Amino acid sequence: MNRQQRKAARQSAAVSRLNEEARAIYSAMARAGVPEADRGSFLDRTIASLWQTYKDERMNQRIVIENEMRQLGLRLPNGTVGKEYSCSFLLPVDKVDVQGLDGAADLGLELELTDTHTGEYTLRGKPLQAGDFTLRLRYTTVEGEGESALDLPIAFNPDPRTLWNNVPTNPDIAYYKPDSEKEYVKVEAGEDGVSKKDMVAASQRGRSHAHEGRPRDDHFTLYHCRDSDWYIMAVADGAGSAKYSRKGSEVACKTVVEHCKSELIDNPEFEAAIRAYEADRENTEKRTDVTRRVIDIIYKGAVNAHNAVKRVADASEEGRLKDFATTLMFAICKRYDFGWFIASFWVGDGAMCIYDAEAKTAKLLGTPDEGEFSGQTRFLTMPEIFHDKDVVSKRLRMAIVPDFTALYLMSDGVSDPMFETDRNLNDFSRWEAFHERLLKGFPDDGIAGVDLTDDNEKAADQLLGWLDFWSPGNHDDRTIAILY
Amino acid sequence: MRRLPVYLLIDTSGSMRGEPIESVKVGLEAMLASLRQEPYALESVNLSIITYDGEVKQVLPLTPLDELQMPQITTPDSGPTHTGQALKLLCERVDREVRRSTPDQKGDWMPLLFIMTDGKPSDIQLYNEMIPEVKRRNFAGIVACAAGMNAKTEPLKALTDDVYSLDTFDSTSFKQFFKWVSDTIQTGNRSVGATDDLVLPPPPAEVNVVC
Repeated sequence: MNRQQRKAARQSAAVSRLNEEARAIYSAMARAGVPEADRGSFLDRTIASLWQTYKDERMNQRIVIENEMRQLGLRLPNGTVGKEYSCSFLLPVDKVDVQGLDGAADLGLELELTDTHTGEYTLRGKPLQAGDFTLRLRYTTVEGEGESALDLPIAFNPDPRTLWNNVPTNPDIAYYKPDSEKEYVKVEAGEDGVSKKDMVAASQRGRSHAHEGRPRDDHFTLYHCRDSDWYIMAVADGAGSAKYSRKGSEVACKTVVEHCKSELIDNPEFEAAIRAYEADRENTEKRTDVTRRVIDIIYKGAVNAHNAVKRVADASEEGRLKDFATTLMFAICKRYDFGWFIASFWVGDGAMCIYDAEAKTAKLLGTPDEGEFSGQTRFLTMPEIFHDKDVVSKRLRMAIVPDFTALYLMSDGVSDPMFETDRNLNDFSRWEAFHERLLKGFPDDGIAGVDLTDDNEKAADQLLGWLDFWSPGNHDDRTIAILY
Repeated sequence: MRRLPVYLLIDTSGSMRGEPIESVKVGLEAMLASLRQEPYALESVNLSIITYDGEVKQVLPLTPLDELQMPQITTPDSGPTHTGQALKLLCERVDREVRRSTPDQKGDWMPLLFIMTDGKPSDIQLYNEMIPEVKRRNFAGIVACAAGMNAKTEPLKALTDDVYSLDTFDSTSFKQFFKWVSDTIQTGNRSVGATDDLVLPPPPAEVNVVC
């Protein structure tokens, strides 16, 4: 039986009940000896009374259905302004006729019967405004009865993207640094006419900092030495909770780059050791020699950086090293006729990787330090880092590769949203996707890509613009340095 | 996505019946409204509410702020205050709901705990046993609030150094208190990392620091 039929059955039952009752009343009137003359008014009164009974019954039916509607316990989930909203629920359509949902249209929503068989209704649309609202579901129950209504509260959150403020950092604070930074290091082709790799880097204050006018804590430093042809890159991420970490990251980057620069500018022994090792890679003595020299340069660079930050901390008012907490990653790279020599040091989170699109490899230069919870990491400023007996094997890396697409150094503000987990950092396909993202940008969000072609000095601005990509919950400072 | 788990433990014992609990509800609503206006909170805060009287209930499992709908909070006529039992349930839920970092999963921010009471634990032995358990759960901050004249601050001091008191039960006080809780949650959103202690924003005038 369908709904119409059921309704008709209900109605005819009511009519025949009335007929029966009327006939019974006539016979009863006769039996009871109601005089002819009084029968009319008696009947009027009786019918009026029966009509009342009928109405009461109808009303009772309505109340039963209304209760049933309330007991459905309909609760509409919250929505977000501008984001597709869709919520389905079942209504007892054999008992109610939905007349409309007041207030829905004003909020940008529409109610639709999506399954006549089950009585499934769907409320959908794009919410127009944030706040707490009440929608009124109007429906009829029994024919002849007026409309019933069910109030349904609904809440829409604002679109988080519209809530961010961008408050410039007060330039009068101690250790002020600009809210963003970018640099392009163009390396001209050598005498042989072969083009050389360039470096580009950008650092953008995170939205969570910009929202409250707090400074950028990240830092980077790039350097290419014309005399020795060494490339030196450093990225540091000052701890969000340490109040002068912006200075810690700056001192760390500058110190290692200065250190490596002076170590490498004229170091024929090191160059010779690299060549000797490359020529005979199975030779452990030669390997030990080059490793010892790498440690001398790289590890000492890290120690110097630690000490330099400590000196600044000691000279500060409170004198606490942990107020200057920062991570640090840096790499020295040079192209030889046999390929690229790369050595690096990494303490903290983020990512440092040699990406080679052609060879389909992504070589991570270490392991990010991560704790059980987000934000827990290791810092250059922790003295115990250097007391760890595995510090060299854990944090130093040395590699010789024929060539590569890009050497990436990035703070966790970039690696977290792009790679999410540690495992993904070791997955070539994720690096491939990342590289693609970098080149193509985020067209849906109006974020342009970066043109990583030789000598494209515009890449610095493009990279800085790219760092504004959107990722829910990821609003940390973002820094990336690329050798390509 | 990095979540910031926030646990609220609310005393619903008989003495909270009437104006006090209504004030708490008004305060909670105001706190939610204020957090929803903060983009970082909107994307990262996850809230759970545990109520405790003679019975202990997690009336709201850990839920993202944007999806959250206020649960029913009721109070019995009278009966004990099972604060220890509440801490026990808290530990169970934290173990189940808070994510730790693994190679395949990004860990949550360290959770925050707010506990509010107008009396003292009836199950003091269990309460004392649970304190080291709670401390093992790596809360970035634990803030305790003693509301009204009969609230005992001593047991709370064993749980945390951050104990505050409210003299009155009116909705203004609670609104101020929860506004401050919401400010603290936003601080929690950023101050996890190198320093071990959560730096609390200064409390409003209605909230007294218990030394």
